[in-house]
Amino acid sequence: MLGKSPWKMAVGATAIALLAAGCGSGDSEESTATSNTVSIGIAEPQHLIPTNTTESNGAEVLASLFYPLVDFNEQNEPVEVAAESITPDKTNTTWTVKLKPGFTFHNGEPVIAQNYVDAWNYGAYGPNGQGGSYFFSSIAGYADLQSKDPDGEEGPQKAPDPKAKKLTGLKAVDDSTIEIKLAAPFASFKSVLGYTVFYPLPKAAFSADGVLAEGFEDAIIGNGPFKMKGTWQHDAQIQVEKVADFKGQVPKIDGITWKIYQEDSAQYADLVAGNLDVQTQIPIESLASASADLGDRFQKSPNSTFQFVGFPTFQKEFSDVRVRQAISMAINRQEITDQVFLGSQTPATSFVSPVVAGYRENTCGDNCKYDPAKAKELYTAAKGPAELKITYNADGPHKAWVDATCNQIKAALGVNCTGVGEPKFADLLTKVEKKEPVGLIRLGWIMDYPLMENYLGPLYSTEGSSNYYGYSNADFDRLVEEGRSAATPEEAIAKWQQAEDILAKEMPVIPLRNAQNVFGYSENVTNVSVDLFQKVNLYEIERTS
Amino acid sequence: MSDMNSVTAAEAPEKLSAQPRRGKSDKNRSLAGDAWNDLRKSKIFWFAVVLVAAVLLMAAWPSLFTSADPNECALNRKHAGPSGGAIFGYDFQGCDVYARTIYGARNSIIVGIASTALAGIIGIIFGLSSGYFGGAVDAVLSRIIDIMLSIPFLLAGIVLSRRLSSDPNDNGLLAVILTLGLLTWTSSARVMRSAVIASKSQDYVAAGRMLGAGPGRLMFRHILPNSIASFIVVLTILLGVNIGVEATLSFLGVGLKGDAISWGIAISEGTGFARVASGPLVWPAVFLGLTVLAFIMLGDAIRDAFDPKLR
Amino acid sequence: MFRYIVRRLLQMVLTFFGATFVVFALVFANQDDPLQALAGERPITESQRLALTERYHLDEGFFTQYGYYMKGLLTGDFGESLTQRKIADLLADAWPTTARLALLALVIAAVIAISAGVFSALRRGGVFDNVTLVATLIILAMPIVVIAPLAQLVFGIQLGWFPPTSGADPSLWALFLPALVLASSVLATQLRVTRTSVAENLRSDYVRTARAKGLSYRRVVSVHVLRNSLIPVITLIGVDLGQLMAGAIVTEGVFNIPGVGFNLVRAIRTEDGPLVVGFVSVLVIVFLVVNLLVDLLYAALDPRIRYE
Repeated sequence: MLGKSPWKMAVGATAIALLAAGCGSGDSEESTATSNTVSIGIAEPQHLIPTNTTESNGAEVLASLFYPLVDFNEQNEPVEVAAESITPDKTNTTWTVKLKPGFTFHNGEPVIAQNYVDAWNYGAYGPNGQGGSYFFSSIAGYADLQSKDPDGEEGPQKAPDPKAKKLTGLKAVDDSTIEIKLAAPFASFKSVLGYTVFYPLPKAAFSADGVLAEGFEDAIIGNGPFKMKGTWQHDAQIQVEKVADFKGQVPKIDGITWKIYQEDSAQYADLVAGNLDVQTQIPIESLASASADLGDRFQKSPNSTFQFVGFPTFQKEFSDVRVRQAISMAINRQEITDQVFLGSQTPATSFVSPVVAGYRENTCGDNCKYDPAKAKELYTAAKGPAELKITYNADGPHKAWVDATCNQIKAALGVNCTGVGEPKFADLLTKVEKKEPVGLIRLGWIMDYPLMENYLGPLYSTEGSSNYYGYSNADFDRLVEEGRSAATPEEAIAKWQQAEDILAKEMPVIPLRNAQNVFGYSENVTNVSVDLFQKVNLYEIERTS
Repeated sequence: MSDMNSVTAAEAPEKLSAQPRRGKSDKNRSLAGDAWNDLRKSKIFWFAVVLVAAVLLMAAWPSLFTSADPNECALNRKHAGPSGGAIFGYDFQGCDVYARTIYGARNSIIVGIASTALAGIIGIIFGLSSGYFGGAVDAVLSRIIDIMLSIPFLLAGIVLSRRLSSDPNDNGLLAVILTLGLLTWTSSARVMRSAVIASKSQDYVAAGRMLGAGPGRLMFRHILPNSIASFIVVLTILLGVNIGVEATLSFLGVGLKGDAISWGIAISEGTGFARVASGPLVWPAVFLGLTVLAFIMLGDAIRDAFDPKLR
Repeated sequence: MFRYIVRRLLQMVLTFFGATFVVFALVFANQDDPLQALAGERPITESQRLALTERYHLDEGFFTQYGYYMKGLLTGDFGESLTQRKIADLLADAWPTTARLALLALVIAAVIAISAGVFSALRRGGVFDNVTLVATLIILAMPIVVIAPLAQLVFGIQLGWFPPTSGADPSLWALFLPALVLASSVLATQLRVTRTSVAENLRSDYVRTARAKGLSYRRVVSVHVLRNSLIPVITLIGVDLGQLMAGAIVTEGVFNIPGVGFNLVRAIRTEDGPLVVGFVSVLVIVFLVVNLLVDLLYAALDPRIRYE
């Protein structure tokens, strides 16, 4: 038998349990409180290799570790930062990037042109499976770096290695000059270079030519104003500290702790309690109390998020343009932005975000104006379906506004409308691919670089990467392409605006809202601003004491 | 569909206690008769009966309680206070909280009762066989329970609900019931098993066996009625938990779908805005709490009446 | 006794394989497009899809995938997550925190449930009994998605008694509030079962005998009744420990504790098969060990139960 007294055992077990629960704790770090550092909340980044970082959390961290070739000014025009100059040839096909001298990586290596070429080749090479690989597709030779599976994705055969390992369009002319040859002319290519994937990687990143060194991602070495302090503490935090004698713009703080949160609401709780300095996106449920909690430390700034719903072309009941117009007119955008989003988003009446050059207000015209009577008339005339659905992904904050939108449609059109939540976005896409009757699909788009083309191309062109609803219009595709190869950015914008006008007539999607950054900060910091890409401006932010 | 379920539900507690009644019905003063005499005098029993009856009525004919349409919502009434027929005010979407609470009863009650009944039946079969036969049967069944318990609820819940309701027009009710039933029977089975192990070694079982009673008779006539006390407690609690867990499933996008109304959904939606408006959270929660309370009290009262040891 | 333990240990190996197989099958059934799930709303290029599909054998059949996984597991390699992290590292990061949280919750729940349950049973129908009944019902009726944020709001933010979030390597103090929330999910059942069981045993023959022998009421309750009443309660606690570890999903999210529950959710959401199975494998082992201990405790508490 185990023992005469079960009670002693029980007490003993409790004691052991408590001891076990208590051990390993107590070594909390209080040292950061006094130094000149700030803490900023993020979610766990998926990756920190620049060419594999396409979500905003990783991009925010990388912005502290790297110094980009170009950045964007108030008018969202590209300005050289780590680059001395970026100049195209006459046809806008070959671009020459001159680097500023004197920059070094955090390990002491000087930053040379070859560092950029190596990093980009790595990102573009198909078998590396980098998420940002499509950014290099406009550079000559990209197709040769991709492999095709001979018997389709499901087939058992392995794909052969791609034809080439290096982009033919990339060349380090000397230590400070990169020559980029594009596959087709692109007048606004300079803006593209501002994206995260175009950061350089040091020689130390590679263990062999084209092979990343093991563990590099956890202790990444960049060329930016801050360097890693220790390694990436997954799901906990990433600490960075100021680089001594940084050649570029020097930040006013000595370091940043990127605190990792699983949920925005937890982040907000810490912000209010003063355990976190900056939150870049305050959750919807907390908006109502944010002014009371934070006072004037609760602020808004524009960002590039464009929210809309799409009509799947495989559902015939939406093929009549009047049905699409009617549904759009049945939605009271202003009421939803006021009541659901408490003014943190604004009604969208165009097909691109207001932050890009070439944006015109209200290109959607009457189609995006709330007019329940006209909506009902059009809908009845076109014999629109009696049942409508809006499908959304339940892991995002969409239920509230989808339900509200459905209620408005119900009231205006007198049809039944239900919001259907799928567990995640991939489930939604799966259903769309199987051509299931999903109804209207909730979509959103955050730009990669500030150009109209970055909305028009991926969202509405036939081959667009995020054109999940299957919209296709040859005139539109042609105009977008002509805009890309136009001689000047101004001519490009003119073409793109013509393309947008086609959208306004055809209504392949219903523009709903333009989102903003709704951010808050603690009393410890000041001069906080959040840019179009939802990143905190790390060069301006200061500690108050 | 819904009416069928509420009927089985009303009978469920009685079914559990029906065994001893049949066993001794030939006697003048049967156990059931004794129990009924006890129950009649119990205030708690009548209180619980009235509450349960009210909730069942609400689930069956919500229009008896309100004439408002729970699906008529308008954003311009967001979080508005009580007015006219909407005595509980309006929720975030501007829907009538009172009407939605009344209409939410049906889905919540069906989910709670049906999934608990399913869990109870599986639990009895597993627990009883496992505890009674012991040895190899116990080993195999216990390991199956171990496997079930070690599979995270969330994973199995998401997979089951996603795969069980492939029909896009289905509101997901059946999938939720099956998911909850198939995933929550383990605790009742384990409690049943240990109660059976404990009562197996009691004298009356040994006596029954000596008198030549077969395993079926011993299990269902002697051991089950005497082991059922803790089991009923676990089940009535499970009922309350399952009504609430439905909300969690809906929260993850795999629960009731579309415009289905339930207390669980209302509660989880109300939580986010608890600081701004408490009504949409509090009222469905009160109804849910009272329902769970009623079922637990009913279970307690019936058990007390039927358990000869508590006489 | 020794033979019993050996037999149970052998069964454990079988159960372990059974459970990992079932979980692997579930994950496989759940998998539609893990690469898209990982990318979220971003489009993925064909070449990226190709590269990752091959790296993770996503185009293989079920048994081949299971074979790859088991081969790795048996050589001590948990494999790599879809975000290219070593699963062994993820396990080592997440388990200690969750284990501490679950144990603390278990202790809180057991202490409250047993003391309040015994007290209610002794004075059945009294004020204390009725108040605890109603109080536990309120807690029971509230789903954890409600309790956790409300507790954080009230005790963490408004009153400021506890830190609102715990973080990655929390102190016992920072873990207290989430542990309390977690405990509330199992408290009601434990309390009700304790109360019922004690009440039942109070009426049993051996209590009457003991009283007739002249033992004091206090001794009868604290030694005889309690010992017999705790059998079903201990079963429950054993079951609950597993539930607390895997079920801390919402709580870990609200209080920002990067533990097992959080990792499981992320893995399930991103359809990350190896990651799910890795975490569940460890869960299964914990379950099996705890259940063996519970069964052994039976024997210790109830001399009528013998294992051979």
